[in-house]
Formats: sequence, structure tokens, C-alpha cells
Amino acid sequence: MGLDIILLFKYVPNTTTVNVDPNTGTLIREGVPSVVNPHDLVAAEFALKLKEKYGGKIMAMIMAPPSATKGIEYLVGMGIDEGILLTDRVYGGADTLATSYVLSQAIKKVVSHYDLIVAGQETLDSSTAHIGAQVSSWLGIPYVYYVTEAEIQDGHMIVTRQLETYIEKYKVKLPALISVLMHSLQPRDVTLKNKIKAVKEKPIKVYTNNELQLNPLCTGLKGSPTIVAKTEFIGKIPRKMQIMQGKPPEEMVSWLISKLKEEKVI
Amino acid sequence: MSSPERKLRLTDIINVNIWDVDSKPHIIVNYEKCKNCPTKACVRLCPTGCYTETENGILFSYEGCVECGTCRVVCPMEAITWTYPKSGKGIFYRFS
Amino acid sequence: MEEMNILDQKFDVAVVGAGPAGLAAAYYLAKKGFKTVVLERGREIGSKSIYGGRIYAAPLKEIYPNFNSMPVHRWVKKERISIMPDYESMISIDYQGKDAISFTAYLTEVVKWMGIQAETAGATIITDVPVTNFYRENNKVAGVVSGEDVLRSDVVVDAEGVNRLVLEASGIVKPLKPELVALGVKEVLKGDSKQIEDAFGLSQDEGLAWVFLGAATANVPGGAFLYTNRDSVSLGVVVLLDKAIVNLKDHISQLVESLRTAPALKNYLKNLRISEYSAHLIPEDVWSLRPERLVYDGLLITGDAAGLLLNAGYTYRGVDFAAYSGYLAGKAIESAHAQGDYGAGALSSYEKMLKDSIVIKELNRFRKVHEIMKNNLLFEKYPKIMSGVMKRMFENSDGPSKAWDAINESCKENQYSMLKLLINGYKIVRAL
Ligand SMILES: Cc1cc2nc3c(=O)[nH]c(=O)nc-3n(C[C@H](O)[C@H](O)[C@H](O)COP(=O)(O)OP(=O)(O)OC[C@H]3O[C@@H](n4cnc5c(N)ncnc54)[C@H](O)[C@@H]3O)c2cc1C
Ligand code: SF4
Ligand code: SF4
Repeated sequence: MGLDIILLFKYVPNTTTVNVDPNTGTLIREGVPSVVNPHDLVAAEFALKLKEKYGGKIMAMIMAPPSATKGIEYLVGMGIDEGILLTDRVYGGADTLATSYVLSQAIKKVVSHYDLIVAGQETLDSSTAHIGAQVSSWLGIPYVYYVTEAEIQDGHMIVTRQLETYIEKYKVKLPALISVLMHSLQPRDVTLKNKIKAVKEKPIKVYTNNELQLNPLCTGLKGSPTIVAKTEFIGKIPRKMQIMQGKPPEEMVSWLISKLKEEKVI
Repeated sequence: MSSPERKLRLTDIINVNIWDVDSKPHIIVNYEKCKNCPTKACVRLCPTGCYTETENGILFSYEGCVECGTCRVVCPMEAITWTYPKSGKGIFYRFS
Repeated sequence: MEEMNILDQKFDVAVVGAGPAGLAAAYYLAKKGFKTVVLERGREIGSKSIYGGRIYAAPLKEIYPNFNSMPVHRWVKKERISIMPDYESMISIDYQGKDAISFTAYLTEVVKWMGIQAETAGATIITDVPVTNFYRENNKVAGVVSGEDVLRSDVVVDAEGVNRLVLEASGIVKPLKPELVALGVKEVLKGDSKQIEDAFGLSQDEGLAWVFLGAATANVPGGAFLYTNRDSVSLGVVVLLDKAIVNLKDHISQLVESLRTAPALKNYLKNLRISEYSAHLIPEDVWSLRPERLVYDGLLITGDAAGLLLNAGYTYRGVDFAAYSGYLAGKAIESAHAQGDYGAGALSSYEKMLKDSIVIKELNRFRKVHEIMKNNLLFEKYPKIMSGVMKRMFENSDGPSKAWDAINESCKENQYSMLKLLINGYKIVRAL
């Protein structure tokens, strides 16, 4: 049958390594390159596996400044078919509400058909995990999060979600939106074949508000009710390392537990 | 010998670098071979201290690797399987 | 290797590595209308690039007509060589030139600029993709392999740098040995441009190149360097790897640490903060490191991978030489194309042009330096003798002694014959 999948992603400053000035203890932000949000790479892998199973097409979509083209190229390098970049000055400074508004309106206006929207669990830089829920409600489609598996059965999708202590299975109508449990899959590598396609064919469409014609009062800073009052750097927690090796497992486990208790972790 | 007040730990210094750390290691060490290693040169010469010597032998972690290739060249035991990270992962230099 | 996936697309030229060598080759070839692709393992051009800090301009000016947009930090007008008997004192020779022939810059920025030149000329640049081997057809190199994908091309330029995984995989070179390479470790220390100018007594755009011998490498053969960038300092240490395995007691990072905190450098580095820590290998015994040939059927080898780097004892010339070799590889491909043949014979004009170029001429001129660098005396004995001389001359409470007496006494103290000192001193001067 073939699934038409939209992958929502974010292109974020790489903060997996927190850069702290060793002299002063302050955060260093200079020249920090952006990466595709790691949790969205897991979502991309999820979508690629579905495509391998059912056929179809995956389109990556992002609202961001033009530099995010690099992120689309990376995803196409992994095997995503094409990308859409929504970019406009009036989209700048958006919170999750304004972002989800633009994404959902763009899906309505420029995507002719889709069966499934896939997103990552959250983003590296803000960790709000709002986007999936908001886009699905703008579009009025079902939303399941913490997803680890999905299967098509007679026009529906059977979705497995993993919670802390139990697993749930849902049967949802398509189109639907799912967000994929972080770390649940290992994203595949970029291949030469796909990266050449990304660079030579540039399967990337760019839409500005000229095309989308969204009300600027609902986008960007103006459309954002959230105000970040203050962010505070909590300082670096010094890492302690102790190594225990070569003892019987029981002994090592009880050693670990006693250490964690000492540190008041448990 | 040198003024002590600004002596820093290597782990703090390399913290200023940017990595896109791969989820799988690009270097694999065969610890069995390390047991008979006469030099343990990797421990002193890996610039980012990826190799540490513990009571129970050598311990290697790839996350702070800057892909210089030194360990591969100095290892006398051919204990190291060495490749580059894929997909542009690993160290990302900005001012060098 | 069985499940190879040969891509439909084919290029005239595939270049392995977007360093100075590869990008200069790609720029020249693209400009001449060759369908050229550069494959780079890093996320962006420059993201894996690191070097000492100073580049000689002339070869790059010849390659790039628009050299004036190069991201130069400072033109080197001051040169200083210091011998450090210990971290507290040093003996320095200063040279202040009128016309600068070299400049300081970040290699990360320089190659990014070279990448833009190549792309503007029409080359395709593919990042995020490590090449794993060459692809061969009828024993000729006819493209590159990355994982399972094969990209075909008429000819390949190898510009992968000193860690030659591809040349090794293809059986052209053997794995590197410690005696062939040196290890460089470096920190970039940032401030603002005014701070740099004040600390080093520089005027705007003026740069300093400073080399240290002796204690700076814990007397392991090698050297240390300091270059002033626009608003930062590149400070680093280079040690010969085979010597370091045997003679280096501490962790290698301690050398940079001790240099940065050395009382002798304290006033220069005040209030700068560390913004990057990097390391890379450097071809050292370039003559033994060089592959048997630099051209094979369908393949040319350039830059560090070919051992085309000059170690002049007090300075490295790798970037401009690598770029120039890439440029000559481009020219050789152009002439082979005119003959309609990419065999080793047709490509061999590369080796001829190199021989007649500044690259091989300078390498020959400096061949002796390598021998001297291997000489432990230069790094252990001489600094001590010289410091003894200086102490006698300048710190003698009875008033300064005569230079000759001072040398004599210092030699005796260090159990070294003055005749030997003179002979070796003469050799060094000749070699330089
Ligand atoms: C500490 C130090 C100090 C130095 N100081 C100076 C100096 O002051 N002045 C000077 O002129 N020179 C200096 N050099 C030398 C100079 O850096 C090199 O000679 C020069 O960079 C060589 O250029 P290259 O293009 O041959 O290789 P590189 O610059 O090493 O570039 C190779 C490129 O190929 C890529 N690559 C490698 N393998 C693969 C693969 N399998 N697939 C895809 N891509 C691959 C790498 O990521 C890299 O981008 C110094 C070097 C060091 C280490
Ligand atoms: S040098 Fe090689 S064999 Fe020796 S300890 Fe290190 S990795 Fe092991
Ligand atoms: S390649 Fe260099 S940085 Fe990486 S582990 Fe080896 S020695 Fe350390």
C-alpha cells in the first residue's frame, strides 16, 4: 500500500557535550554547530523501518532559519526522501504553540496526502515535548507518544507504547501522529549514495509566508504566549568515578547500591 | 616548576570541545592483548586521556577521542581496531 | 565487499579528503571544467582540521587569484626562537621582518574558504562520508568505496592526510610506525585582539610566530610553538612519537599544561581562556613515509598522505605544500585528460612538476634537519649548556664573565667538549 510519512524534526545547537570554560565555570556558546535533534534521529530511523516494511515516502519537515537545510541534507543522507523547510522572518522567536501552528497549517496547505506523522520524544534544547501533542490537536488526529513499535492492520495502525512499568497497545485510525520513545532505536548512518542525492538533487522545498499566507499574529514571537522568564545555569556537577571490576556480580551489585546510597541517589 | 594556580584537569580542558558523539564506538581495544603490553604507551600518549590504567588493566572510552590516530601508531601489540566515526560524528573543531 | 552497490552517477575526478590538498585539487579541476566530487568524513569542511598556526602565502597566491579574501588573522612580522632550559627562563632570538610572507589563521576557517572556492568553481562536496577503499576496474583505480556504495570516477586524488586508512586498505602503504610521525597537541586560548596586541607588543594585523626548544618538550625531541591569531593564541607542543614512547614520563597533555602555566610565559597568557584542545599526527620522517610512488593507474597521492610536508626545525610548511601538491595533481590530470589516458604514465607529469616545484626543492634543502632533530643533544644538552653560559654572563655576582670563558665553563659543567659543541653547532647552522 505504501505509507506517506511526515517526519517533524528540529535542528538544534549541539549541547550533548556541555561546554564549560574550565577557568571560569561559565557556559561557552561560541561557534556551537547545530545537529539534527538526536531524538528526532530515532524517529527518522523509526520512519525508515516502516518505509522498508510497507513502502511509501518520508518527508522531513521543519520550521527554522535557512541554515536548517543542512539538517534536511543529513536526513536525506540517512534515506529520508525529501524535505520541506518553512522559513520566514515572521516565524522567528516562536514558542511551541506558534511553531505547532505553522507546522500544522503547512501540512494542511502544502502536503497533498499523508498517513502518518512521526516526531521525536523531545528536543535537546528545550525538552518541552509539546510539539507532537499540539500539532495533532491542530490537525484533529490521534496522538500516541513513547512509541516503540507500529504495525499496519486493515487500514489501522497498531501502536505499542512503552511506559515505565508496562506496555500498552493502541489501535488508531490513520492519519495519526506518534512520537517515538527516545533511545529506543539506533539511527542508521549516512550513506554515500543518499548523501550524493541530498547534495546533487537537493530534494528540498522551501516555503515562506508568501506562500503559506498565515496570519502573522499567530506565528513567531507575536503568536507565542510563552515567555521564558529566566534560565539559570545550575553549574557543573563534578563527576566522581570509581571503578569496581573483577568481583562476583553479587558483590559488585551490593557495592554499587551502597555507593549510590552514600551519594543519596537512591 | 610551573605556576600551580591555573593547573587544570585534562577532563575539564577537553570539556571546551564539541563532539557529536556516536552511539557506537569507532575504536575497539582487545584488552587481552593489553595484559602483555610492555609500554602501555596509549595511556601517556593519547592526548585526551581515553586510555586509563586501572588495577584491573586498561580501560578505554571513545567519547573524548579526537581521532588523531596516535594510539593506533604507538600500540606495540596491535590491540586496537581503529576507524573513523561515521556520519560526520566525533570531534568538531572550530578554532584550530 | 561482496554486496557492492555501484551508483549510477559517475564523476571525472573523485577527491578523498577536504583538507588543503584535496580542496586545491578540486578547485583547479572544477575551474577547468572537470566534473569533480570531494568526499569528506567530517560534518562540515574544516570540522576535522587542525594544525599549528601559520601558513606561507606564496603558493596559495599562485593557486587562488582571489587570495585577498582568505581569512587571514595576522601577518607574521615577528619571529622568535627560544631555548628553554627550564620553565622559568629562556634564551630568545628575535627577528623582526619588514615584508611578511606568512600569516596566522585557523585551518578550520582556511579550508572552509577553500571549500567555498571549490564549490563556486563547480565542484560537488559531500560531507559526513568516510571513504573506505578505492574501487578498481582492471587493476586501475576507478572510483571510491564508502561502506557498500561505489562511486566511479576516471581518476582519484588521494588527499586523506597523514592517517592513511584508504591507502592502507588498498595495500599501497603499510601502517604508520612511531618513527615516521610526530604528535602535535595544541590549545587555543582566547581573549580579544587588543589583549593579544598589548601582551605581545604587536600592532594591528601584525603577528608573532614563536618556537620553543628544550624543557618545553620535557627534553623529548620536538618543539613547542605559539602563534598569535586575531583574538587568540595557538599554543602547542610537538614530540617525535618514537622518542616520546621511551622518554616521556608524564601524560602528553602535561606538556601543554606546563607550557601554558610556565612562569616564563605568564605575562603573555594572562586572562586568556581555553577555547579548544586538539591533537593530530604530523609526518616527521617524510622520506620514509612517502609511498613508493605518488601516481598509480587512475590515482594521485597528495599532501600529508604523500609525506609532502616540510619540517624546518623551527617551522612547519604543510598547508601550503599540501595545497600546492593538490594544485599540481590537478594540472597533471588536465594534461593526462588531453592525452585521453589516466594511466600512471600519463599522470606521471605530477611527479615531474613536483620535483621542479618549491615543494621538493625545499624538502631536499631541509633534508638534514631531520637528522638533527633526531639528535637528543639538541634538546637536552644544548639548552643546559646555553643556560649555563647565560647565567655566567648575566647572573654572575662578580660581574659578567667573558662569553668565551662562560661557554668553556658551562661545557665543563655539562661534561661536553667545546670542540664537539662547535662542530655540531656548525652542522646545525648549515642544515638550517
Ligand atoms: C600540530 C601541527 C602543527 C602544524 N603546524 C603547521 C603550520 O604551522 N603551518 C603549516 O603550513 N602546516 C602545519 N602543519 C601541517 C599541516 O596541518 C598539514 O600538512 C596539512 O593540513 C596537510 O593537508 P592535507 O590536505 O594533506 O591533509 P589534512 O589537512 O589532514 O586533510 C585531510 C582531510 O581528509 C579527510 N579524510 C581523511 N580520511 C578520510 C577518508 N577516509 N574519507 C573521507 N575524508 C577523509 C580529513 O577529515 C581531512 O579533512 C601542522 C600539523 C600539525 C598536526
Ligand atoms: S599500547 Fe596497545 S596493547 Fe598496550 S595497553 Fe595500550 S592498547 Fe593495550
Ligand atoms: S585516536 Fe587519538 S584521541 Fe582517539 S583514542 Fe587514539 S590517541 Fe586518543
